[in-house]
Amino acid sequence: MRPLNQCLGIAASVLLLAACQPKTANTSGGGGEIVIGATIPLSGALASFGSFQKWGYEHAVAEVNAAGGISIDGVQRRVRLIIRDDKTDANVASSNVDTLISADHANALLGSCTPPLVIAASLAAERNATPMVSGCAPLVSFRGAKQWTWAWDLFFNDPDLAAAPFRTLQDLQVTTNRRIAILHDNSADGAVVGGKLWPELAAQHGYQVVANVEFPVDTTDFGASVQQARTSGADIVLVDTVTPPMVSIRKQMAAAGFTPKVLVMEKGAEPAQFAEAVGTLADGVMVGGYWDPSFEFPGAAELGAAFTNETGRSVSQHIADSYTAARVLLDAIAAAGSLDRQKINGAIAATNRVYPVGPVKFGDNHAAPLDIAELQWRDGTPRVVWPVARKTADFLFPVPARN
Amino acid sequence: MHLPDGLTLLQAVVSGLLIGGLFALAALGLSLVVGVVRIVNLMHGELVLLGAYVAYGLVQATGLNALLVAPLAALAVALLGWPIERFVLQPVVRHGEEAPLLTTFALSVIIQNLLVFLLGADTRSIDSGYGATRLQLGGVSVPMMYLVGFVVALIVCACVHLLITRTAFGRRIRASAENPGDAAVVGVPVRRLYALTFMLAAGVAGLGGALLGMVFSFTPSSGVEYLLTGFTVVVLGGLGSVVGTLVGGLALGLVESFAAAFLGDGYRLFVGLVAFLVFLALRPAGLFGRRA
Amino acid sequence: MSVATTRRGAQRGRVPLAVIALLAGLALLAALPYLLGTYWQQLGFRALQLFTLAVAWNLLAGYAGQVSLGTGAFVGLGAYAFALLGNATGAPLPLLLLAAGAVAALFAIIVSPGLFRLRGLYFTIGSLALAEALRILMVNLSTFGGASGIVLQASTPPFYALYWLALVVALVAGGIVVALLHSPASLALRAVRDDEDVARQMGVRSFRVKLGAFALAAFLTGVAGGLQALKLGAIEPYGAFGMAWTIDTVAVVIIGGIATRGGPLLGTLLYVALGELLRDLPELHNAIGGLFLLLVIRLAPQGVWGLVTGRWAQRPGLAERADG
Repeated sequence: MRPLNQCLGIAASVLLLAACQPKTANTSGGGGEIVIGATIPLSGALASFGSFQKWGYEHAVAEVNAAGGISIDGVQRRVRLIIRDDKTDANVASSNVDTLISADHANALLGSCTPPLVIAASLAAERNATPMVSGCAPLVSFRGAKQWTWAWDLFFNDPDLAAAPFRTLQDLQVTTNRRIAILHDNSADGAVVGGKLWPELAAQHGYQVVANVEFPVDTTDFGASVQQARTSGADIVLVDTVTPPMVSIRKQMAAAGFTPKVLVMEKGAEPAQFAEAVGTLADGVMVGGYWDPSFEFPGAAELGAAFTNETGRSVSQHIADSYTAARVLLDAIAAAGSLDRQKINGAIAATNRVYPVGPVKFGDNHAAPLDIAELQWRDGTPRVVWPVARKTADFLFPVPARN
Repeated sequence: MHLPDGLTLLQAVVSGLLIGGLFALAALGLSLVVGVVRIVNLMHGELVLLGAYVAYGLVQATGLNALLVAPLAALAVALLGWPIERFVLQPVVRHGEEAPLLTTFALSVIIQNLLVFLLGADTRSIDSGYGATRLQLGGVSVPMMYLVGFVVALIVCACVHLLITRTAFGRRIRASAENPGDAAVVGVPVRRLYALTFMLAAGVAGLGGALLGMVFSFTPSSGVEYLLTGFTVVVLGGLGSVVGTLVGGLALGLVESFAAAFLGDGYRLFVGLVAFLVFLALRPAGLFGRRA
Repeated sequence: MSVATTRRGAQRGRVPLAVIALLAGLALLAALPYLLGTYWQQLGFRALQLFTLAVAWNLLAGYAGQVSLGTGAFVGLGAYAFALLGNATGAPLPLLLLAAGAVAALFAIIVSPGLFRLRGLYFTIGSLALAEALRILMVNLSTFGGASGIVLQASTPPFYALYWLALVVALVAGGIVVALLHSPASLALRAVRDDEDVARQMGVRSFRVKLGAFALAAFLTGVAGGLQALKLGAIEPYGAFGMAWTIDTVAVVIIGGIATRGGPLLGTLLYVALGELLRDLPELHNAIGGLFLLLVIRLAPQGVWGLVTGRWAQRPGLAERADG
C-alpha cells in the first residue's frame, strides 16, 4: 500500500502545482495588443440579450481593427476582445471581472445586461479601478446603486420607458375601458417600472390600475397571476420581466383564453427569441424600444444591414447599444492615446457624439440616456409604432385572439 | 396577500387538481425507489428533468407530436436507470445509510452540470400543439394541456397500481419491500428486482418530466424543484401505495394552487415546502411507512 | 535542542519540527499579498472561505453525525445580516462578521427543536427543504430587497484586505474546531454520532450536543457568508442562498475525507486546484467534482486524506469512523 499512497501523494502535489499557473492562455497582455474584457450573459435566462451583445461588441472591435487599430503612444495596436459568459448570475459577473483583469490582463471593460448583472460587474470594476462601459441597464437602478467613478452606462431612463405605452395610446388615440392590470417580476427594474412608475403614470393619465401582481423571475406557473389579471376586467395589460417567464406568461394567457385589447410586454418580449418561442402569439405585443435601423442616426441602417447579412436573423435593438458602448470605449482609448486607466476614464467622461444608437453624453452619475420609441410585433418583426414621426407600421389594435 | 373571489377559488381548485395529477406521476418514481429499493434518491429530480430534455430533443429532431414522444422519453430514462442502480448505487449500499444518499446527490450534481455543459442553461419548454387551447366550463377555463397531462397521469398511475397489485412481478416487489431477507430466502432475486424497480421508477419519472415540460418551462436547475415536490407528495400521501401517491399529488396541487391564489405564484413551492416540513416532523412512521 | 511536550506530542523530538513548520506556513500565508499578485489573493480568499465552510460542515456531519444539505441557508443569512447591519450601522468589519455568524447561529437555534425531530436521512432532506424554502422566501420578500437584493453602502476593501480577513476567519474556525475536538465535548459528539439512542441512555443530552454543533457550524458558515457579501459589494438571494454553496462544501469535505483532521484542508486544496485547472469550464469542474465524490464514497470513504495517511477504507459505513 505504501508505494501506492506515495504515488497518489505525488500525483496530488503535481496536480496542485500544475494548477498553480495563472492562466495566460488566451491573453497576450503586454504583447502589443489592447485587451478589452467583456462579461455577458451567453447562457441562462438572458441568453437572448447576450447573443446580440456579443455581436455588437465583436462588430465594433472588428471595425476598429480593420481600420488599423488604435494608436497608443504613437504605436498602432490591435484590439483583442475577450468575452466571458456570466450565465445570468451576478456572482459570476463579478468574478468574471476579477478574472478578466487579473488573469486576462484587460485594460478596460464592457458590461453585461440588466441591473443585477451590470451593477455587480460595475462594482467589481470599481474595486479594480478599471473603466467599464455598459449599454444594457436602465438608468434609475444604475444611478441609484452607487456614486460611480469607473463605471458608465448608456441606456434609457426607466421613467421614459414606463411612460412610452401611455404616450403611444394617447397620441394614437386608442380607446379602451382605461383599466390596467400590471404583472412584473421583483428584479430591480421590474420593481421600479411595474411597482412604482406604471401605477404613477396610470394615475397621471387617467387610467385605473385594477390589478398589480409581483412574482419572482424564476416562476414557471403563472396560473394565479393570469387569473387575477383576467378577472380584473382590464383592457390593458402591462408586463415587465425577462424572456423565459415572458414566454410562459404569453402562452399561459392564451391557454386561459385571456387576450386583452392592449398587451405591453417590456424587456422580455424585445428579442427575436420571444417571437420565435410564441409564434403568432407575438402579434400585437408592444414593447418599448430605443432603436430601429430606420432611425436617422449615422451608421444605424448599415449596422442593421450588417447584422442581417451576417446572421440572417431579424435585428434586435441590443446590437445598437452594445456596438455603441464598445465604440464609446474604443474611441475613448483612442482619444486618450494611452492605456493609462485614469486617462481612458477621463476620455469616456468627455464623450459627446452621435453614434448609431443616438447621441451619447454622460450626465448625472455616469449615465447617458437614450430616446424611447414604442415597437409592436407583427409577423415576426418588430415595427416602430410611436413616435408617429418615426413609425414604420400602423398600430395593430386590438391584439388578435389566437386559438 | 389578496382575497380571491369565488370564481378564482373554483379555478384554483380545478387547476390544482389537474396539476396534482402530474405531480403524482412525477413523484411515483420516488415513492417506488424509497419504498422498495429503500434509497433516498436525491437524483430523482434529475430523472424527471431528463425526461423533459429527451422529449424536447425528440420533438425538435423529429417534429412528432409531443405526446407521442413522451413514452420514448420515458423509455430512454428507464434504460439509463438500470446501470445507475446496478453499478453505482448497489455497490455503496453496504457503506451505510448515507452513502447511497450522498451518491445520488453526487449523481444529481453531475447530471445537472453535464446538461448545462452540453446543452446550455437556457430555459426551454416543449411545444405541445395544445398550448393555447382550452375547455371553457362557465367561468372556469381548463387549459387542454393540463387536462391531457392529468388523464395520462391517471392512466399511468392506474397501470402501475395494477402492475404492483395484480402481477407476479408486483408480488415480488411487495415482498422485497416488506422484507428483503425473507424474500431472498424464498428465492426472489432481490438485487435484480431492485434494478428493475429502479428502471420502472426512472421511466415513470421520465414520463412525468416529459409531460411537465409541455406544461411548464424548465432549465438544468429545475431538478431540485421536482425532487422536493416529489418528496412532499410522498410524505403527504404516504409511502407504499400508488393510490397514496395520487392522493398526495392531488393534495399538493390543491395546496399550491390555493397558496398562489392567496399569496401569489411565487409562494407555490414555498408553501409546499412548509407543508412538507410540517408533515415530515409530525408523521410518526416517517417516510418509510410501517418499517421505520 | 530541547524537547517540548505538547498535548499531541507522543513523538518527542519530532514535535518542534511540526510546530516550526506550522508557524512557517502561517507566516507564508500571512505574507502572501506581499509575495504574489491579485490573482493569488483572490484564489487564496476563495480557498480560505471554502476551508471555513468545510471545517464547519465536517464538524456537523463528520463528528456530530448530522448530514446537512442546508449550507446555503446559513451562507445567505450571514451575507444578508452582514449587508443589512453594515448599511444600517456602519460598524467595523470584524463586528459585522461576528454579527453575521450570530444571526446564522440564531436561526439554527430557532429551527433546531423542529428540525431535530427528524433523525438521520430525514434530517438531511429536511435541511434541504428548509434551505430551499428560505431561499424562495427571501426571493419573494421585498423587505429584504426581493430578487434585486441589497447593495452594500461601504466600499469594498482591496483584495489583500479581504484575503487577510479570510485568513483570520479560517484560522479561527480551524482553531475552534480543533480545540473542540480535543475537549471532553468531543466524546459526547462522537457518542451521539455513533448511536444517538445508546448515547441518550448513557446520559448524554443528545439534543444539546446536536444543537451546539449545529449552532457552531451555522455560526462559522454565517461568517463565511458575511465575507462573501463584503467581497461582492452587493448580494441577491439566488447567489447568496444558492445550492452551489452546499454542493461545494459537501464535495470538499467528502473528497478530502469526512471526519478526518486533514480532510477539509486537503479537500479544499484539491477542489480549488481542480477549479483553476478548469477555470474556463466551470460546469465541467462541478461535474468532475461530483464524479470524484462518487468515486470517493465508493472506493475510499475516508477520502483522499485517508488514502494519503494509509488508512485504506475497510470501514463498514460513513457513519462509523474513528477520527483521523
